[in-house]
Amino acid sequence: MSATYIDAIHQAQRELLAERDDVFLYGQDIGGFGGAFKATKGLLEEFPGRVMDSPISEDAMVGMAIGAAISGMRPIVEMQFADFSSIAFNQIANHAGTHYYRTGIPVPITVRLPCGGTPGSGPFHSQMVETLYAHYPGIIVATPATVSDAYHLLKESVEIDDPVVFCEHKFLYRWLKTSEIDPEPLPLGMARITRPGKHATVVTYSAMVHEAVRAADRLAKEGWEIEVVDLRSVKPLDMDTVIASVARTGRLLALGEGFPWGGVTAEVVSRVVAEGFHLLDAPPLRLNSKDTPIPYHPDLWAAHRPTPESILEKLRELLNL
Amino acid sequence: MPQVPIIMPQLGESIAEAKIIRLNIAMGDSVVADQEIIEVETNKAMMGVTTLCGGTVTEIRAEEGVEYAVGSLLGILEATEEEISRTGAPTIGEQAEPELLDEGEEGEEGNLHFRQTEQSYEEPKLVEPSVRGLPVPAGMKGAHYISPRMRARMDELGLREADISAIAGSGAGGRVTVEDLEQFLEYISDWPDSAASPMRLAVADAMRRSWSRPLASVGLPVVLDPVLEHRSRQNPKPGLTLYVLRAFAIALSEQPATAGFLIGEKVVHPRAYDIGIAVQVEDGVVVPVLRNVDQLRVPELAEEYGQLVRKARNRKLTPEQAQGGIATVTNFGTFGLKWGTPIPLPNETLILGLAAGIKQPRWSEEVGAFVPVTETEICLTFDHRVVDGGGAGLLLQRIGTLLQAPEKL
Amino acid sequence: MESSAASAPIISGRLDTDLIRRTLRVMIISRTLEAKLSSLYKAGKIVGGVYLGTGQEAFSASLGCCLNQEKDIFAPLIRDQAGRTGFGEPLIEATRTYLGSALGPMRGRDGNIHRGRPAERRPAMISHLGTSVSLVAGMLIARRMKGELAEVVGATCVGDGATSTGAFHEGLNLAAVEKLPIVVLVADNQFAYSTPRERQFACENLVDRARGYGVTGREVDATNLFECLAVVHEAVKAARAGEGPQMVVGKLLRLCGHGEHDDASYVAPELKDSKLGRDCLEIGIQQVVDEGLATSDEVDLWKSEAAEEVQEAVANAQTDPAPDPYQDDWQAFSSKGINS
Repeated sequence: MSATYIDAIHQAQRELLAERDDVFLYGQDIGGFGGAFKATKGLLEEFPGRVMDSPISEDAMVGMAIGAAISGMRPIVEMQFADFSSIAFNQIANHAGTHYYRTGIPVPITVRLPCGGTPGSGPFHSQMVETLYAHYPGIIVATPATVSDAYHLLKESVEIDDPVVFCEHKFLYRWLKTSEIDPEPLPLGMARITRPGKHATVVTYSAMVHEAVRAADRLAKEGWEIEVVDLRSVKPLDMDTVIASVARTGRLLALGEGFPWGGVTAEVVSRVVAEGFHLLDAPPLRLNSKDTPIPYHPDLWAAHRPTPESILEKLRELLNL
Repeated sequence: MPQVPIIMPQLGESIAEAKIIRLNIAMGDSVVADQEIIEVETNKAMMGVTTLCGGTVTEIRAEEGVEYAVGSLLGILEATEEEISRTGAPTIGEQAEPELLDEGEEGEEGNLHFRQTEQSYEEPKLVEPSVRGLPVPAGMKGAHYISPRMRARMDELGLREADISAIAGSGAGGRVTVEDLEQFLEYISDWPDSAASPMRLAVADAMRRSWSRPLASVGLPVVLDPVLEHRSRQNPKPGLTLYVLRAFAIALSEQPATAGFLIGEKVVHPRAYDIGIAVQVEDGVVVPVLRNVDQLRVPELAEEYGQLVRKARNRKLTPEQAQGGIATVTNFGTFGLKWGTPIPLPNETLILGLAAGIKQPRWSEEVGAFVPVTETEICLTFDHRVVDGGGAGLLLQRIGTLLQAPEKL
Repeated sequence: MESSAASAPIISGRLDTDLIRRTLRVMIISRTLEAKLSSLYKAGKIVGGVYLGTGQEAFSASLGCCLNQEKDIFAPLIRDQAGRTGFGEPLIEATRTYLGSALGPMRGRDGNIHRGRPAERRPAMISHLGTSVSLVAGMLIARRMKGELAEVVGATCVGDGATSTGAFHEGLNLAAVEKLPIVVLVADNQFAYSTPRERQFACENLVDRARGYGVTGREVDATNLFECLAVVHEAVKAARAGEGPQMVVGKLLRLCGHGEHDDASYVAPELKDSKLGRDCLEIGIQQVVDEGLATSDEVDLWKSEAAEEVQEAVANAQTDPAPDPYQDDWQAFSSKGINS
């Protein structure tokens, strides 16, 4: 029995609904239709009244979830695409994110954001938004790269009392599968060494973990051992694991699918330079997508975001510095 | 014959899969372009999959009632070259078939998400994992580039850049890595060693700092007989070095910029012609400073000079007595040396070395024969940022001239 | 849409008399407190700003007083001191929040009207207008899922400006789709800060929008206490009875600036002199005394009692400790061990 990334998300939600009376799902087309990506398929039938179709009102969807959360529920909001969460940005950043600090009452909402690019999705169905939410206080941002993490991190996100923005990568939905869910998950807030190495560290998250591993595999044939760190969540950011890895390798490439101005990769580089300057053998490098909207044509799209080829190129530059 | 794929299309932006309801084709069927050949059901609607061109169905991979991901290969048509060129349909080989990727599975080479038909990247530069075979790193970076990581390890061990110059680097561009350093330290760990004295470390530090500048040396033979003759008539006899010290100070006072010190875009000139004397002591050198050498004559300086040298040898100098010099004289001739390239103190631009006086024949026009003279070499090392070879040569010439009239010194 | 209620007190009987008397008292307390807050601001004691509800007390207090303090939800906006007091918010919470006391509900982390106790069904507003509508909807949906919605009403207030926001539209539409027992008061007070209503919306009357949302709309002369109480009471009752979302538009004029930093010089004298510009507190007192529901002496007593209560709340808050930046845990997460 194998499970894909989307199966894991479906299964986690199903179990959460079964295990906890306070969990409910809210989003566009998630009821009888089962969601644009089928993450809630069959759940309305199994849990009547607890899987609710929403109007196309991202702001109100999250506002409603906040109200329910401070009234004892644990809502999971599905944004149809992460890109549309910009409409709900105010409720997530200004309302949910500030609530505990202001009032002492936590807001246990989980906002699922199908993010990242797939060929042909274009500028408004491909974006990575983890940086936006991580920038604001009070919001946890999970970015699972594996099927097991998608399952465990989603379950943990709902258990957490604070707002969680759960960035699930659309490309991984059906392209990634595993034979069994890891029975011993790492807790949220801990990064994973996906691939050990000693010559350079790639710190990344979400779908880019797999691209980094591919680039590392190719360099391995030339005698280079590249360590790949999967952050798993960009907030909290597990600097202990990152610093320990850079201490082993002395070189850092921060890799992300998001836009290049600022963001998670800049944060990683900034913290490594500040906390671990003495560990560095070379200036840390960053690799992100290009600083343009995400293009539609698959060839443009593939060149817009980091690929194994561009990661390889960047790693060669890093190893030459 | 070219093969044209039948692909599960993207039937709506949020559609990830579709179910085959009915196959309207069979193996061997002839189809025309834009013919609806497969009925599929998406989450939203019933739709038809159409052909990209006309041809013959040669392969059917799809089964009725099964859901397929968008992009899945459902079947294959064989089409004529003319039909391909007429319709512009893609053929297999141009368009990759998407595959599910297992976690940890060794996937196909290329982009995980989309196979690029044309790589737009430059040919990657190959990095040699190591550069070996040279005793000293030869790359542009080499031992001169010390990474923050290497610097931190060196600080931890109390090492300076000069200490690692012996190591052939194996890093990028021949750079010395922490691993190289550890190996080197391991290699020398069996060798006998002893602790360096504080004096040794102080000299080492001063010389390291001095050496960060572009230093050059020039030399001039000088006949010492007039000085030796003058000296023999004095009581007590002034040291030979004192005559040189005096000539040096006078020459400098005539050309103050020569003793200047370059700081940024300024040359800082001497305020007083206080000259140091290098005195060899156990495991090091100390440099007492004689004041206002340009203004006092040799007999007037003699006592102070003698006291300073004695104090220096006995290590009794006060810190003030070793400060404020603008240049130094070192008499390495006392060791019988014929020439040398002394290194100025880090805060001085010049050092004047005095070699051993050696008796040798010199042709005399007056006598019309070789006559014996005592000749030495005075050697000047200078910071080439401040002084050029010409300036240094003129300075030496002037000193040589002054030493021919010792009674005026 | 139902027509406006008459200006006569259509609520009769002993309980109703109590409600009317209590509402007027709440208005007096609110006006007294706000006058004091304004004074503290002008004395340099309050930082940031002071936002008053002068002229809106009858409308706001009617809602606060018609709600059930034990189970209803009230999400006020910036001009709802009267509603807050009517719903049972202690005066000390207002003064502590304005003065930044470490002991107040916001502990100096937020100020002025951005206060509340969500656990007591009094959400703390954020500055972004319209967000409270979906919030209250969510609080109601939670109760519905837990089987605790019976007899519960959720209420929130906005002004005419907030009705221009997407959040208001999304929230009210959502509440309507879910047929929630929510009451939304729209104080059509002629200005959003300085922007007059003709630059805010083009429909003739905001209450017309209710039909578009599929919610019951009511309109009221919000300078008239009796009318406010009658109409708001009716709306709350309808929501409680399961008749779905209720929108009440109160017509009035803001009798103060946007905040106390604003002299509202942009308000035309003719508008101030119009029917909209009447003071609801003066009218309310007149109505109550005329109907014999209280004597002038009683009203005067209420005023002096209000002055004392306000003075006590201000005095207590002023002696409170200030928040200590060295003691704040600077934690935006409730979960322990989450480091950003």
